[in-house]
Amino acid sequence: MDLLSNYEISRTADFIRSRSFTRVALQFPDDLLRDSTKVARALRSELGRRVRLFVMADTAYGSCCVDEVGAAHVDAECVIHYGHACMSPTTTLPAFFVFGKATIDVDDCVQSLHHCLSTNNRPILVLLGLEYLHALQDIKAAMSPRLQCTGSGLMVTYAEVTSTIINPSEDCDRRKGFFLGGLTWSIPTGHKMEEYLLFWIGDEDSAFANMILTLNSCEIVRYDAKRSQLLKDFSHPKKILRRRYYLVEKAKDANIVGILVGTLGVAGFLDLIKQMKDLIEGTGKKSYTLIMGRPNSAKLANFPECDVFVYVSCAQTALLDSKDFLAPVITPYEAVLAFSRAKEWTGEYMLDFCGLDIPAFGSVNHTEEARFSFIRGAYIEDVQPTGNGGQRIEETLALAESTEKALSSSNQLTDSILFKGTARSGAEFFAARSFQGLSLQPENPSPPSLLIGRSGRAAGYADENQQGRYSS
Amino acid sequence: MVKFTVEGLRRIMDSKHNIRNMSVIAHVDHGKSTLTDSLVAAAGIIAQEVAGDVRMTDTRQDEAERGITIKSTGISLYYEMQDEALKGYKGERSGNEYLINLIDSPGHVDFSSEVTAALRITDGALVVVDCVEGVCVQTETVLRQALGERIRPVLTVNKMDRCFLELQVEGEEAYQTFQRVIENANVIMATYEDPLLGDVQVYPEKGTVAFSAGLHGWAFTLTNFAKMYASKFGVDENKMMERLWGENFFDPATKKWTSKNSGSPTCKRGFVQFCYEPIKQIISTCMNDQKDKLWPMLQKLGVTMKAEEKELVGKTLMKRVMQNWLPASDALLEMMIFHLPSPSKAQKYRVENLYEGPLDDQYANAIRNCDPEGPLMLYVSKMIPASDKGRFFAFGRVFSGKVSTGLKVRIMGPNYVPGQKKDLYVKSVQRTVIWMGKKQESVEDVPCGNTVAMVGLDQFITKNATLTNEKEVDAHPIRAMKFSVSPVVRVAVSCKIASDLPKLVEGLKRLAKSDPMVVCTIEESGEHIVAGAGELHLEICLKDLQDDFMGGAEIVISDPVVSFRETVLEKSCRTVMSKSPNKHNRLYMEARPMEDGLAEAIDDGRIGPRDDPKVRSKILSEEFGWDKDLAKKIWCFGPETTGPNLVVDMCKGVQYLNEIKDSVVAGFQWASKEGALAEENMRGICFEVCDVILHADAIHRGGGQIIPTARRVIYAAQLTAKPRLLEPVYLVEIQAPEQALGGIYGVLNQKRGHVFEEVQRPGTPLYNIKAYLPVIESFGFSTALRAATSGQAFPQCVFDHWDMMSADPMELNSQAGQLIADIRKRKGLKEQMTPLSEFEDKL
Repeated sequence: MDLLSNYEISRTADFIRSRSFTRVALQFPDDLLRDSTKVARALRSELGRRVRLFVMADTAYGSCCVDEVGAAHVDAECVIHYGHACMSPTTTLPAFFVFGKATIDVDDCVQSLHHCLSTNNRPILVLLGLEYLHALQDIKAAMSPRLQCTGSGLMVTYAEVTSTIINPSEDCDRRKGFFLGGLTWSIPTGHKMEEYLLFWIGDEDSAFANMILTLNSCEIVRYDAKRSQLLKDFSHPKKILRRRYYLVEKAKDANIVGILVGTLGVAGFLDLIKQMKDLIEGTGKKSYTLIMGRPNSAKLANFPECDVFVYVSCAQTALLDSKDFLAPVITPYEAVLAFSRAKEWTGEYMLDFCGLDIPAFGSVNHTEEARFSFIRGAYIEDVQPTGNGGQRIEETLALAESTEKALSSSNQLTDSILFKGTARSGAEFFAARSFQGLSLQPENPSPPSLLIGRSGRAAGYADENQQGRYSS
Repeated sequence: MVKFTVEGLRRIMDSKHNIRNMSVIAHVDHGKSTLTDSLVAAAGIIAQEVAGDVRMTDTRQDEAERGITIKSTGISLYYEMQDEALKGYKGERSGNEYLINLIDSPGHVDFSSEVTAALRITDGALVVVDCVEGVCVQTETVLRQALGERIRPVLTVNKMDRCFLELQVEGEEAYQTFQRVIENANVIMATYEDPLLGDVQVYPEKGTVAFSAGLHGWAFTLTNFAKMYASKFGVDENKMMERLWGENFFDPATKKWTSKNSGSPTCKRGFVQFCYEPIKQIISTCMNDQKDKLWPMLQKLGVTMKAEEKELVGKTLMKRVMQNWLPASDALLEMMIFHLPSPSKAQKYRVENLYEGPLDDQYANAIRNCDPEGPLMLYVSKMIPASDKGRFFAFGRVFSGKVSTGLKVRIMGPNYVPGQKKDLYVKSVQRTVIWMGKKQESVEDVPCGNTVAMVGLDQFITKNATLTNEKEVDAHPIRAMKFSVSPVVRVAVSCKIASDLPKLVEGLKRLAKSDPMVVCTIEESGEHIVAGAGELHLEICLKDLQDDFMGGAEIVISDPVVSFRETVLEKSCRTVMSKSPNKHNRLYMEARPMEDGLAEAIDDGRIGPRDDPKVRSKILSEEFGWDKDLAKKIWCFGPETTGPNLVVDMCKGVQYLNEIKDSVVAGFQWASKEGALAEENMRGICFEVCDVILHADAIHRGGGQIIPTARRVIYAAQLTAKPRLLEPVYLVEIQAPEQALGGIYGVLNQKRGHVFEEVQRPGTPLYNIKAYLPVIESFGFSTALRAATSGQAFPQCVFDHWDMMSADPMELNSQAGQLIADIRKRKGLKEQMTPLSEFEDKL
């Protein structure tokens, strides 16, 4: 049956048996959820009653990551992850990945690859979407006789997936060569990545986006397996990078930074959040850590005091950009660029936060020179980091002080705090708001008389329809 | 050979009555830099022979090539006056030595910011007017600026040589021309009169007008001639002066002065008889090489020529003779020393304009008295690139106290607020420098009343700043300069090689520092934008960027980009409603265009968020016909909380409205910055909040629900109110002879411009044309105009107003629709505008 091979039932069962797990979580993305029962049934018939299987769906963050928190709810000992994956390292649980098998015309693909090779006089690196991994051996096999018959010194390097199992103990620094979204490859010494032509087999998905941004200095062609055609010319990564560059510039002007926790699984996320906090504090800015699941414009707008958000998540869900966001959302790498003055945007880019070089707290050089803000087109002065003791006192007094100010000064000051991002802390922002919640001393202490409220649904209350006030 | 030493110069800096700080201002090409040369030559910095050709103050290569001044250049000059010359001077002085701190400024309108910076640090202005072209557009602009800063002007009617050589006009005709020029200038000065400054009009008979020929290095005031003739006629010098101007006629036959032309053929106006004709005679004798006649005449005038000079012929001879007879420097210096105020005099009345703090504190008093012992008050008006790349001199004027090498100063930036720490630094001055010709010389200290350049502060001063002593914590800063032009022309720059980006970034930072007017920003799409006052200004800036600030790294410059504004034509056709993401809150709004003139009033700051609501409501109800109560219900201005759009609360008896006000305003700030059409700023739209329905639980009507909804409903209101684009329009002033008019009209028509005024300049064959020209069409306008008029027409463009484009931007094929498509493409937005249905919800 197709299902068995597509979902690699027997291999999965072997994995579970070999490690003798008894509680196993099966994580499905939304688009594969319809097969979940069949897969579970097939696995159960393989493994017997002894192993308990749990189906997990509707992952809180990206479905590409292993949902360790979800798995912990059922005390699972391992997670079997189905569908598209980012292969981010896990913190506590081992994970087994089943990528699925998408159809591909191997002959046509090899033909395209060969055509590329003969027209471009440069080495080629073949990268592919994980769902096409099953065809890699066939492609290699079909390619090698062609390479021999041309006999030229041209090379084709293939990226591989070393293992479809991720163990929590593995350290991300351990890897050799290049690593990107589960794929690894190495290039001979003396070669540079820029010299290679990248040949991507797969769809234009987040894995592809991750690759073109990270390897933005390389030329890239994409073989679309669904339509069996070769596509060139991707100008949009340059566009995306320029846009990211703008967001970094914008982040430099921020006083209050919100750290959005966008993953609870990727190894090292807690350390990263800690480092981010230190980095932000080191620049004299204020940070708040927020957990809101997958961010959307309404959730972000609940924190209008934040001038920028740093989204800590796996590499493939890291890019969040929407016109609807009140404040920009940037990645940890961009945050490092924005918040340490020694660093400059060079065109290099990374989305994976593993191996991110974060300047340690206190090591950031503080120059007194005013910083040029391209957003305002002028030199502006950054907030100066204060010593720890001073900071505390200031913080506790901020509310009192700014309330005092708000009372005495004109609304000019509050305007600039509320709408131009000059607030230094959430307390200051709150103090500037025109409405600060119900007052503790009600003006009218006697209880109001009962009133009849409105009835009906929010989409149209009962009293409205009758009046038809705005129906025109 | 320089006639003075640094020590000498430094010595006079202490005698504040013997200092004159002055700028040379004029219309483009009226001969400022050329005339300045004569003064520089008299100080011995350049040779007398080449004066007028060197244009000493045009230090940059491109200035020399183009023949225009781009940056204002300061130079300190030392003169020793003769006792004789100072005889008539009534004011305070100490000794005969004078220090003139002179600043030559550019005349092209694109560089007006340089003029502003120059005026701030000077007390007097030498206004140069071409005697043929007369008072031009830019003359008026700079005069207005000067008087606004309380700068006392003196006038020189320049290019006299043209009268004699080129046009060969007769005496009476020439007099009429000069008279008209002076009158025109006086009309302007009278318009901007300031009681504290007193009468600022200029009068030849009082010696405040000179007549000069910068190119040939000679000039005179009526005093020159009055002195000469006073003894001859045996009358008082002052009396003689009066006779040499105005309705005073002399008949040599009767030797009588009359106040009317007696009709006798020998009767001539005093000026013509005694000033114009002698000069004319000398010039023509020189030009015709009648040396036998010339020498006796010169002897009579007391002019001696060196032997080798006698060998000269023609024009060079004439130049030499005139320079010896009527040296430009003498006349001009005398005019400056006699009629321009010394710092101690000028600061008495300028203090009000300068100081932001209370006018009776010690700083105000120190400035008022120009007190060298008082606290330091120094204003840095511009940053001058130094020879070592990337560093700048901070150039400014000491208003009180002394600045010295090694002094610790308090630097108050433009955003400094007294009592706070913002934009405030304490740093040491590494070196104090004065300009002596092309060289900079270090001096130990510089006392008040002088201009100075400082080394070592460039990292802490962005464009301008006020400096004071370290300990003077309660000093207020000196008022920021107000510029008359704004940066409207923008280009996107990027580097050819991607890895040069850090160089570009560094270069842009330096560029922003070096020029007070240029603005370097970044677009949402990540493109770097450089904005300048005009095409020429931008061209110069970009050249500087590439050559000086980026070390020659190649850059790619986009076509000029013009920013538009979004507005509405009518009131929304219906009340629009948007629901919050949770569907529990609804906002109802309408948009309507603001009344005529209201947006401009907000731009000018006549109406703004800082106003007293009562005053604001008075202006709104009286001038713009608003309802008095409504005027009190303005929630905010936007974008940036000060922009020309409004949100007004029209709700009646709505619960919790106060709670969501901040959220609605936040949404409005956001939306008014990025309109629905092409994400350009909105302008002139008044949004009325008609009704709101809110969820009873506070948690369901928080910012997250309201802010995005407010933005959407504002967009919906905009789209239902017939949205339109506003384009920026230049006011173009062109001066040209009659035969060029046809060409001018042709080019203007082609470029969608329209002429609204055409006047002949009285007494000249020149016409003055005023026209409106869309900024977007102005690129290449000067070139086209030059081509069409064979170089006879010269336009000056200044941003004037926003003009509504009548085409409907919602129609794809209309001009506005096309423009929007282009803007959206450039910004990397979706090609299609977001439809109304995305913003408006149905019940």
